[in-house]
Amino acid sequence: MEANAIKTAQAGTLESMDCLVMITEWSAGRLVEVSGGAVVRFKASMEKHINDTLDALGTDEPLRISVQDNGALDVVLGARIEAAYKRYARLAV
Amino acid sequence: MRRTMLYLPGNNPNMLLRGHLFEPDGLVIDLEDAVSASEKDSARVLVREVLRRGEFGRCEVTVRINGLDTELWRDDIAAVVSCGVSGIRAPKVESPQTVLDLDEEISKTEEKFGVTQGSTKIFCLLESARGVWKACDIAAASPRVTAILPGGEDLAADLRTGRSKEGTELEWIRRMLIVAARAAGVDALDTVFPHVTDDEGLRRETAFVKQLGFDGKSVIHPNQIPIIHEIYAPTEREIETAQRIVEAASAAAARGLGAVSLDGRMIDAPVIRRAEYTLVRAGLSREKV
Repeated sequence: MEANAIKTAQAGTLESMDCLVMITEWSAGRLVEVSGGAVVRFKASMEKHINDTLDALGTDEPLRISVQDNGALDVVLGARIEAAYKRYARLAV
Repeated sequence: MRRTMLYLPGNNPNMLLRGHLFEPDGLVIDLEDAVSASEKDSARVLVREVLRRGEFGRCEVTVRINGLDTELWRDDIAAVVSCGVSGIRAPKVESPQTVLDLDEEISKTEEKFGVTQGSTKIFCLLESARGVWKACDIAAASPRVTAILPGGEDLAADLRTGRSKEGTELEWIRRMLIVAARAAGVDALDTVFPHVTDDEGLRRETAFVKQLGFDGKSVIHPNQIPIIHEIYAPTEREIETAQRIVEAASAAAARGLGAVSLDGRMIDAPVIRRAEYTLVRAGLSREKV
């Protein structure tokens, strides 16, 4: 039986003021999932920042972006998204 | 002032965003030894974004890049010089040519990103016997060089010894570097004191390097900062003398006199500069840029 590898990359940590970002290939469109203590209050702004960061990187690929947040400021969230996406983009298809 | 320069791991958001709150004179954001090989790319992006945010209080912000013997250092330069960082701390500098290579890359990056030419300074870490031996030539290799620093662990290993609490293995090197730094007109900054719970050892070492003439020390724990600042703080008598020298010099300048006598002693430019620096260290005057 042959298994299909799923293209996945991640960046960041679960340390204080950081977040762990995982990007995987997706069927269509862009799915953004965020979890963590601050999500109740800041879900919309976090999702907007994630989408803005990916748009600025010029990608329109179908992607699933999962973020586990532990108090990351926007500056950290954006950096982790960029690092994870650049790692994802470097992976062989 | 560069009494204390606090190392911050380049992949740690908590420290990067809060390090300046401990009020060191400077920050050294580390992309080299504090970042594992697998996290170099991610740390570089994080450091670039934190530098762009630019909230570091009054700290001088420098970045220790990866060595010029790696494939990483040019990307490090591109990421941080474009953000207008104050200085690059270059590890394992062994020759004036290393400084020239670094200078050329920084110049290209400054031009590309519209950063003022020459504004990014170089701090040279001398972590081998070869580097220490050429300290003065290294310090004089480019006007960007603003300080030289002895290495700690790497230098001890190159000397085929280890670090001792007494610093015996570094004693002669410290004496040599202070002469080289002054001859080249740059700062001499001491290496870290690695025993973070040994306050008395830190006091002893700091008092020793201050007496040699060092301008400050690198720091690896925030608790070390107030101890070093206390030792570098001038005494009341030193402050009073400095104030009288600066006042006498100012009065002489107002009368168009180039030299002045105070308490029977000639006050000339180096004495005035030292007095002004004493007042800066006492927090009674702002540093002239």
